[in-house]
Amino acid sequence: MTDKTIKVSIRHLFKIFGPDPETALAAVREGKSKDDLLEETGHVLGLQDINVDMKEGEITVIMGLSGSGKSTLIRHLNRLIEPTAGEVLVNDEDVLAYSDSQLRQLRRERMSMVFQKFALLPHRTVLENAGMALLTRGIKREEADREAQKWIDRVGLSGNGEQYPHQLSGGMQQRVGIARALASNSDIMLMDEAFSALDPLIRTDMQDLLLELQKELQKTIVFITHDLDEALKLADHLVILKDGAVIQQGEPQQILLNPSDPYIEDFVADINRARVLRVRSIMAKDKPDGQVVGEVAPDDNLESVIALADGAMGSVCNVTVQGETIGYVSMVEIVRALVPRRVGEAA
Amino acid sequence: MATYDGLFDTLGLRDWCDAEASDGPMSMADLMARTQGGDEAAGTPLRDLPFPSLDALHDACAAIPQSRALTKGLETGFLDIRDSLRFVVDPLTQPLSWALENMLWVMTETPWWVMFPVLLLITWAVGRSWKVVGFVALVIAGLAFVDHYDVAMQTLAIIFVCAFICVLFGVPIGIAMSRSDRLQGVLTPVLDMLQTLPPFVYLIPLIFLFSVTEPKLYGIAVILYAIVPVVRLTNLGIRLVDPDVIEAADAFGMTKSQKLFGVQIPLALPNIMAGVNQTIMMSLAMVVIASMVSAPGLGILVLRGIRNLELGVGLVAGLGIVVLAIALDRVTKASLARIDASQSSR
Repeated sequence: MTDKTIKVSIRHLFKIFGPDPETALAAVREGKSKDDLLEETGHVLGLQDINVDMKEGEITVIMGLSGSGKSTLIRHLNRLIEPTAGEVLVNDEDVLAYSDSQLRQLRRERMSMVFQKFALLPHRTVLENAGMALLTRGIKREEADREAQKWIDRVGLSGNGEQYPHQLSGGMQQRVGIARALASNSDIMLMDEAFSALDPLIRTDMQDLLLELQKELQKTIVFITHDLDEALKLADHLVILKDGAVIQQGEPQQILLNPSDPYIEDFVADINRARVLRVRSIMAKDKPDGQVVGEVAPDDNLESVIALADGAMGSVCNVTVQGETIGYVSMVEIVRALVPRRVGEAA
Repeated sequence: MATYDGLFDTLGLRDWCDAEASDGPMSMADLMARTQGGDEAAGTPLRDLPFPSLDALHDACAAIPQSRALTKGLETGFLDIRDSLRFVVDPLTQPLSWALENMLWVMTETPWWVMFPVLLLITWAVGRSWKVVGFVALVIAGLAFVDHYDVAMQTLAIIFVCAFICVLFGVPIGIAMSRSDRLQGVLTPVLDMLQTLPPFVYLIPLIFLFSVTEPKLYGIAVILYAIVPVVRLTNLGIRLVDPDVIEAADAFGMTKSQKLFGVQIPLALPNIMAGVNQTIMMSLAMVVIASMVSAPGLGILVLRGIRNLELGVGLVAGLGIVVLAIALDRVTKASLARIDASQSSR
């Protein structure tokens, strides 16, 4: 996946809340901790030295508990919040150097956003809400309606165009939110805890919808969540944030198999690893001893392999892509992968 | 010998006091004191110690002015600037006089059989409710039946003009207030003052400023009194718009004016309409008081009832105002409900 170009890049980003962020920033750069800063100067260190690259066509998930700064971070991308220091590059242009009109153009045409609390206009119909970005841009009503209707149909709300947001359920409202973001035809989508306010079954539906849309549209998506299951399901690139700092980022499978920090270990401890881990993350190039019981795809999860092998310890599966064997996975490896690894143990 | 003589003596201000001594006009209190041969004040007991007010200090030191100089000063001050004030305010407020005169003329000279359906049509357009239209028809018919049609129309004409001007100026002022905390800080005490100043007090400087025959005299009084709620509720309504929605508007690159007209005003509309309702109610209250300065309408009859102790005349006119108030309230409430229904809060 290294061949994809970097679409959005965050460089040495700091955000400090308080009356005199500049002085506080100097103190932080000299190594003052977040707690000391709050106690001594009353400034809150929101984000410290964030460096993240988001590749084109990937879903980058930023995960952290509440207060970790993830919502602050996503708002820096379209400058709803101004950073104290650092750079935000979109297509290699520094967003922070943008004038008001350039920034408006970025928000209208290149970066759309989906919100946790939906934030639809309550006095506009679903159709008008979905076309909001286009109408804001000054596109003619008819054209905007046509485009908006297309996306409303696409997210499965065909009959609801003339209804008002308060007449819809939460899940349907968020579908409108997604249609609104998609209708703007921007290549970057920011999703701020977009599914957190929905109940679990609907959340799963929405995740599937997003993955399905993503397969087709290949947008650059920045997704914020506090839910690890959701993060692992959606992420191509996972960034874990704690107290305003990135503590680990990378391919989600790798983070799961090699947590770099006790905090992440705790995080991943409760995960159903058999369902999340994929064959490709643990397969071996050389054929281990054992009886071959079947063929699996690299993206199958371990659960399905265990089911295929019927739990027999000695079995081995061939990992095949279009009939060609690219590796092997043994039951022993699978069972080993199911046990969480502690920091410091050999990977 | 006055109570505070000692104070000025110890401060060494005696010379200053006496130098300024003059024979101002004698106040009633001075006269009384003199006739009682009141130089026994030397040993005032503590319980009779007067508060060191201007008058009490004046007794001890003639250089300190008496309290009546304050009221006198205000009066002469106002009279001094009156001409220049009139020079500026008179032409500015002239359109108000024209508007009031023309509206009064239109509403009283139009035959009742034209005016009647027009008013009901307006009611329907605003409220979209047959019940309210029926009620308004009943109210106007009732007033006309007891021969109060003309005065009721005069009152309505004044309210229409004044409430319209209140909204015309009040809504933009409220919007400006919602956008600037500093402006809100400056205007809030002004609004508080306008709201709590007894309505009669508005009339006093206005009588000095304009001749009593000019309609703008009462027009200004009504507007000053009634503009407060629409300003306040516009400001409040816009400030109460869900910040999440505003953030979404920002995130999709709306300009300030797109945000104002596309999001903030529509979402604040229920509050703004509540302000308009209050403004109309307050103009009705003021229009009665303004009848003391020649505002025509039902208020004149109420005033006649008080002045000549004509109980019946006063009561009928008073009840006329009540039914008019209820009708106006129902109509504006109906339009408020209509707006609310189309965008019920989330």
